[in-house]
Amino acid sequence: MYLNIKATKNNTFDAIVVGSGMTGGFAAKELTEKGLNVLMIERGREIKHPQDYDTAMKQPWEVEHRGKVTAHSAEELWANKRFGNLANDESGPFFTNDKDNPYIEKRPFDWIRAYHTGGKSMHWGRQSYRFNKEDFEANAKEGIGIDWPIRYDDLAPWYTYVEKFVGVSGQKEGLDVLPDGHFLPAMPLFAPEVHFKKMMLEKFNRPVTVGRVANLSQPQEWHTKLGRASCQYRNKCVRGCPYGAYYSSLSGAIPAANLTKRLSMLHDTIVAEILYDEQKQRATGVRVINQKTNQVEEYFAKIIFLNAGAMNTAALMLNSKSNRFQNGLGNDSDQVGRNIMDHHLGVGATATVEGFLDEYVYGQRPNALYIPRFRNWGNDKQSYLRGFGYQGGASREGWSRGVNADGFGSDFKQSLTKPGQWTIGFGGFGEVLPNPENRMYLDPTRKDKWGVPMIVFDAAFGENEIAMRKDIMNSAMEMMDAAGFKNIAGYNRPEVHLGLGIHEMGTARMGRDAKTSVLNAFNQVHSVKNVFVTDGAAMTSSSCVNPSITYMALTARAADYAVKALKKREL
Amino acid sequence: MNRRDVIKNVALMLGGAFSAPTLMAMNHWENPTKSYPSGATFSLTQTQRSIVAEIAELILPKTTAPNDVSPGAKDVGVPAFIEMMMKDCYLQPEQLSFMEGLEKMEQVKFLELNDNERKGILKYLEQETKAEMKARQMKQTKMGDNDDHEDIKKVAKGLPFWRLIKELTLLGYFTSEEGIKASFEYVQIPGKVENIKLKPNQKSYAY
Repeated sequence: MYLNIKATKNNTFDAIVVGSGMTGGFAAKELTEKGLNVLMIERGREIKHPQDYDTAMKQPWEVEHRGKVTAHSAEELWANKRFGNLANDESGPFFTNDKDNPYIEKRPFDWIRAYHTGGKSMHWGRQSYRFNKEDFEANAKEGIGIDWPIRYDDLAPWYTYVEKFVGVSGQKEGLDVLPDGHFLPAMPLFAPEVHFKKMMLEKFNRPVTVGRVANLSQPQEWHTKLGRASCQYRNKCVRGCPYGAYYSSLSGAIPAANLTKRLSMLHDTIVAEILYDEQKQRATGVRVINQKTNQVEEYFAKIIFLNAGAMNTAALMLNSKSNRFQNGLGNDSDQVGRNIMDHHLGVGATATVEGFLDEYVYGQRPNALYIPRFRNWGNDKQSYLRGFGYQGGASREGWSRGVNADGFGSDFKQSLTKPGQWTIGFGGFGEVLPNPENRMYLDPTRKDKWGVPMIVFDAAFGENEIAMRKDIMNSAMEMMDAAGFKNIAGYNRPEVHLGLGIHEMGTARMGRDAKTSVLNAFNQVHSVKNVFVTDGAAMTSSSCVNPSITYMALTARAADYAVKALKKREL
Repeated sequence: MNRRDVIKNVALMLGGAFSAPTLMAMNHWENPTKSYPSGATFSLTQTQRSIVAEIAELILPKTTAPNDVSPGAKDVGVPAFIEMMMKDCYLQPEQLSFMEGLEKMEQVKFLELNDNERKGILKYLEQETKAEMKARQMKQTKMGDNDDHEDIKKVAKGLPFWRLIKELTLLGYFTSEEGIKASFEYVQIPGKVENIKLKPNQKSYAY
């Protein structure tokens, strides 16, 4: 616990930020840099950057189960396990124990959580793409959900601001569908990918680019000032980066906030309720529970930023009941907890690539190739709405090709020490439409071990997503065929649910009308002006691009608005 | 092609016949005699440990050829690794099929066979496993969208013995310190990523 002595007197701060992850960290940075004393409250354990990344420098043979998940871990992290091998020896300790933090599935929901300093920013995929103009307008044009209260131009300067601070490696392409940003030097495409890019342009007029990824390909002065260094191309990001080369709340925002000496942090502290003053008609603070001692305490502030992650932020609002808000704080519209969106994935294709046998790669690129959305774009028209982007790439097979190949013995062993043929694979990230019936709510009776009501999920993909998935697989196969690749195999994993994209969002959406939305154009709760929600809960639609950079841009913009309003005494 | 034909082919491939008892055992090995109660902990007898070690060493043997001096699976601790992994990382379906596989090896008295016969058994296992994996894969690709959910849950049979022991042998060997350093160019911190031309006989990088 680092309580700022001056501020502890009466547990009162200028601002409280709930959550220390991707957006909580950024909110704390912005608010402290603008002069506010901030208390950031994290429900999980403290992780110190970089010394607590205790698996980061382990060599392969020092990792006991060599990347596989133990049966014990799979049982403890039962939801996390659905994603794949995240619960293994390398990264398992940096994810949440689902058994200790259970949730209820009326319909299956894959909820992957990271309760600790920095939250999921510690092991995000780092892909950073701006929403395009159409992403902000499509709901209104198509009569889906509600209209965003902002447009691309409102957010564009904040994208630039965030990209500069974070450091995004990428290639400018001049595409409307994938607006360029402020980029550090791009990482290379590999030989078969260069061929693929050329073929896609020739045969389909579809652009292909290298991923835009928040790894420092060339650190700038403001990065090194925070102790961040260049990417070492180990591609072991998921263990935490000892070089601070990829952006996380731990390596970027929190160190920046600490430089102001105006940040106080609490760990192991669950925010159970937002306190509301009926007379003043505003939130006054939060009631918290220490997850180790169960001690309850209250903290107070002029403004409160909710950045607990979309599902927990909505749960916190729903659990904050008062005379005025009997269905949860700011929930006059009954939209809190509804419209869960994500990006659906686990669908795409793989193939083998003939030739390029004198081409190889030194180092490990922590990045992929990116195929921007081409469906329902320009002249393309499909039976479903919106679209998807692909992420993937080419690599030469290593020893693991031997697992399913025939053979054993000394020649077999010798052959596996050389690179195998090139293979390529990419999978889709599909837009999910908002649907009020896709929701989470609090169970009326069942509570967790801290006495906080458990979350119930009741959500599933709709017809639009299911139709899009078929096209994602078929189009991937078609493109691979057009590129001349062989042994093309499509896949459409049946066991994927909402949540598996780990882009869960939409549970307290922004909008123009307080009757149909929870937040206004500055992420302010319509009916409680000193509460701001700037994590994924705020999203009105999902686009098909990875959302973190958009969450951070919304956060920076809302923090700017909040501090200006405070100074004008409007809050 | 039935089981008997496959066995005959394998025998021909090896340029010799199996002994009659071995052939008989192979013919009947789909019916394990023991049953394994659910919840039983995974443990191997000394004989089973020896079988695992001998199979692992046949998959990745020690080599002393002038152009390839490298340790074998036994040298780098693969047998113990396999047992630890089967115990720690696999659930009952895989543990059962692993035990069934070992039991078949006991039936054919694997440890008493000569090198050629052992290789013949592994070749036969490989063919059998290939057919089984193909059937599994076909079943998986037939499943389409969310509504096929129930089907996939029914696939409770574990991966075949050969697939398990081969994967774990390769994993244990090629991620061991001696295995990595003998097999690949190990680079802990590359510091850059770039396209390069592959030199003749160049080994893979390992990171």
